[in-house]
Amino acid sequence: MSNIFDMEPPMSTLSYQEKSLYGTLAADLIVYIPYFVYVMHNPTTLSHIVGTIILLIVAQIILQSGIAIATRNRITDERDRQIAGLGYRNAYFALVGMILTGMGALWLHTVYGPLNPNHMGLHFLSVFLGMVVISEIVKILSQLIAYRRSI
Amino acid sequence: MGGIRNNVRDLRAAHEMTQQQLADRIDLTRQTVIAIEGDKYSPSLETAFRIANVFGVPLERVFQYQGERKKPRKG
Repeated sequence: MSNIFDMEPPMSTLSYQEKSLYGTLAADLIVYIPYFVYVMHNPTTLSHIVGTIILLIVAQIILQSGIAIATRNRITDERDRQIAGLGYRNAYFALVGMILTGMGALWLHTVYGPLNPNHMGLHFLSVFLGMVVISEIVKILSQLIAYRRSI
Repeated sequence: MGGIRNNVRDLRAAHEMTQQQLADRIDLTRQTVIAIEGDKYSPSLETAFRIANVFGVPLERVFQYQGERKKPRKG
């Protein structure tokens, strides 16, 4: 319950956008950490990747539905859009940085030893998925930090 | 945030309005009103005019530009 003198937001009064970001971050971590731990020690298959993506979609639907039901005021305003823009900008820099690093690693592979053609396709699929996931996490963390710092 | 200060909190208190009520009037979230009152976020020009309209005062009564703070000269 707010009154006319309230000033600072307690952690319990997060905006809908912040709650949604925490939900997305939780879904990403719950689904992708086990996946990447598994593929670091075992050869991946296409069914692993497709299964992971389906699991992420299901986790997102469950978490976001719960957050939407629990939040009365679900509006998005100009500050939310500005913070989202900041998140996308940082994610873009992270993605470009990782692509350049990946290109360098690929060049090292071709110079110092041939890649195994049997695993190359799925290996790169996992690497590109990893880049997208890390960029997504950079975007979410940038937004959450911006909300906490009240830009 | 920059050199812009505002009297939103004082004007809101004078109108006996909660942060949520002000937020609802101008289509913002309560968190954004909190950030504006704390001088941590400068709203768009359109939102600034809408806030002034809610309180029925000119824009300069709500927001004031303080200018850039100059560093003191040496010597």
